[in-house]
Amino acid sequence: MKDTVVNINSYLTFKLGEEIFGANVSKVLNILEMTKITKVPKAPAFMKGVINLRGAVLPLIDTRIKFDMGETDYTTNTCILVLDIDMAGESVHVGALVDSVQEVLEIDDAAILPPPSIGSKYKSEFIEGMAKTNDEFIMLLNMDLIFSTDEISLLRDSSGEVHVDLEEDSLESKKNNKKK
Amino acid sequence: MDNFRKKFIEEATEHIQDLEQALLELEHSPTNKPLIERVFRAMHSLKGSGAMFGFEKVSEFTHHLETIYDLVRNDEMAINAELLNLTLKSVDHLSLLLNEENEPPETLLEKHTSLLSQIEEYISANKESSVIQFEAKDKKKSEKQLQTYFILFQPYEDIMKNGTNPLFLIDELHTLGTCIATPIYYKIPQPEEFDPDKCYTSWQIYLATDVDINSITDVFIFVEDECVLEVNQIHESNLLENQEFINSINEIQKNQKELTVTEIKDIVTGLSQPEEKEQIKTNGEEKVVTVAVKEQTISSIRVSSDKLDQLMNLVSEMVTTQARLSLYAEQDGRPELLNIAENVQKLSRQLRDNAFSIVLIPIENMLTRFQRLVRDLSKDLKKDVVFEAEGTDTELDKTIIENLTDPLMHILRNSLDHGIELPDIRSKMGKPRQGKILLKAFYSGANVIIQVFDDGAGIDTSFIRTKAITKGLISPDAQLSKREILDLVFIPGFSTASKVTDVSGRGVGMDVVKRKIADIRGEVELESEVGIGTTLTIKLPLTLSIIDGLLVKIDEIHYVIPLSVIDKIYAVEHRKLMKSFNNMTILDGEQVPFFYLRSEFSLPESTAEYEEIIVVRYEDKSVGIAVDTVVGEYQAVLKPLGKHYKKQEIISGATILGDGTIALVLDTNKAIKQFANQTLIKEEVQ
Repeated sequence: MKDTVVNINSYLTFKLGEEIFGANVSKVLNILEMTKITKVPKAPAFMKGVINLRGAVLPLIDTRIKFDMGETDYTTNTCILVLDIDMAGESVHVGALVDSVQEVLEIDDAAILPPPSIGSKYKSEFIEGMAKTNDEFIMLLNMDLIFSTDEISLLRDSSGEVHVDLEEDSLESKKNNKKK
Repeated sequence: MDNFRKKFIEEATEHIQDLEQALLELEHSPTNKPLIERVFRAMHSLKGSGAMFGFEKVSEFTHHLETIYDLVRNDEMAINAELLNLTLKSVDHLSLLLNEENEPPETLLEKHTSLLSQIEEYISANKESSVIQFEAKDKKKSEKQLQTYFILFQPYEDIMKNGTNPLFLIDELHTLGTCIATPIYYKIPQPEEFDPDKCYTSWQIYLATDVDINSITDVFIFVEDECVLEVNQIHESNLLENQEFINSINEIQKNQKELTVTEIKDIVTGLSQPEEKEQIKTNGEEKVVTVAVKEQTISSIRVSSDKLDQLMNLVSEMVTTQARLSLYAEQDGRPELLNIAENVQKLSRQLRDNAFSIVLIPIENMLTRFQRLVRDLSKDLKKDVVFEAEGTDTELDKTIIENLTDPLMHILRNSLDHGIELPDIRSKMGKPRQGKILLKAFYSGANVIIQVFDDGAGIDTSFIRTKAITKGLISPDAQLSKREILDLVFIPGFSTASKVTDVSGRGVGMDVVKRKIADIRGEVELESEVGIGTTLTIKLPLTLSIIDGLLVKIDEIHYVIPLSVIDKIYAVEHRKLMKSFNNMTILDGEQVPFFYLRSEFSLPESTAEYEEIIVVRYEDKSVGIAVDTVVGEYQAVLKPLGKHYKKQEIISGATILGDGTIALVLDTNKAIKQFANQTLIKEEVQ
């Protein structure tokens, strides 16, 4: 099963602020317009509330808060992506608020670059790769991880440099291993 | 094939349950013939279908057990405690074997061999007495005349889909005596219409044997519901040695004609032995015993629980949509539409009640496990205890039953271990030597009450008190009512057994019981008299998926509060709420602590002049919660909030209102607990 999912090369792109992100289409079940949200008291800020999805109760996550861009302002372009997330081996449905939905792109595996280890403001485990189309960079996201984690922000924490150091260390040790 | 195996395991589990139940009953009436028959039947079914589906270990093992009970059935061996113990152990072993997908592990195999040798020993040890009877029986057998039977076996087309090979059944008939089976295959369709998964053939079988008609029908025991079967005795001698008879049936076979019993009898009467003719004429009519295992009207069917869950979901959906329709019809005001809406409401209510009653199962289903537990454990503890149950037909939602078994087992273990005294102590105290545990179930409004009584030592409150003090759960000068002291038992980490036994008192005690029961929205209460006994009462909702609730509104969001916890509702002036000291207000002349939900939910104060306080029960106390407005009663179909909200304990679920918006279901117990803790923290900080 897993392999067939990975092999689909179509990505749905969407915007948060000015940045473009991509999600593998196999993860997206539906795209909805904004609807009435019922707020759940005492929940963390990125947990926007719940919506009625054809008789089922769907939890809604404010993706912007996850990416530390402040709360979503509702516009006519605001959309809800209904996602099928793998949460500890279980399939869970969740809604994700995004600023606007762009298009579906075919991206070859070969055209996907590894996530940058330095310079990106997001934790690298949440980024599956980068792709370049029409002179724009698209960050392809690991939807399972982003929408199942309890972490509020996906930003690298202030100790980000330590992370980088560690990665460099590990690179060096790998080199050393090769030498041996 | 996996599908068949699954089906087999399901069936086998049922057989094993039935077997266990019958064995336990047998203990009380060891000579009850129908019970022995039931045991035998269950074993026979297990053996046969086990072999059919490749569970050789199961079938081989059951075969040996069956040998014993065949002897018992024929009065050649008597039921005694030793035998029952051995059988019950074997039944346990069987269910373990069933759970092993592949090759069973070493330990299980060791047990397997040891049990097998025990069974064999038992048979040989008890054989001496039976051998003589055997001989006697053999004599009887040889005197017995061979009889000729005519068997009409018409499998339904789908018989092979259940993994049955009809030819095996006919082979089995061959082992009973001389047998001529003639197939009837004119129903086989043209090759283009032929479905290889279907059985188009039926059989006419002539069997000359000395076994009785029951043994013949036993061969077809697994396919009873999948075929038309008629077994008729046609003659009291071996007709198959009669050449004339053979010729005539060969003739019939060539013509592919289906015979009725009367036609066969005509042939038999047409045979050239005059004395036999006479016999048939005189006895024929009475001798024809039709054991017609024909199409019976099916009174129950097996449905997978997935399908039931789906049905329940659809019905819930339907109830929601219907609420929407009623709302719309009311707004619209057209009388015709109102009529329709009202009808739909009636129908969907009936549909809902019907659907819910489908998933209700009687608590009888879990009793066998309890009986077994009491039986085994009382033996281990050298206590004499009888277990009785009342109201076993009381029905509960299947999920509730599933979640109730473990806590109840624990409660029973407690009663046996700590409650009931040893027989000697009991007689010294003037009690009957035999202790008694009674499980009683009954309806009470929208609830089901389950009570467990034991006439044991009871719980010594002073002992609990001392223990709670040494454990630091209460302060030495705390004034507690008897009820409050008994409730201490449910506090985590409190285990009353002074010495830890392997039965109960593992530290995970009554607190787990209470939590598990709370998970299915139940409540537990303990009452006890020292020296007289203990009663544990569990109050449960009938179903988990629908609750009667009160719909309230706070800042444009609807909440549902379960009606079961609500005592009273008061309208209170807003300024009185705001000016209150220490979050206390006076209602009906009594001080009631309350929580202002708006501030608990970090919302701005209401601007309305009046708000409402709902007084709910919280651990025996009354606590008020203030909301904006009360909308009215509402029947809420519960939906989960999803994994993402699992940390929001105060909201136990959601429900969809008639207009499509979502209302949140408030768990008042958890909410009040959380609010109270926060207030404490705030006070400490100050």
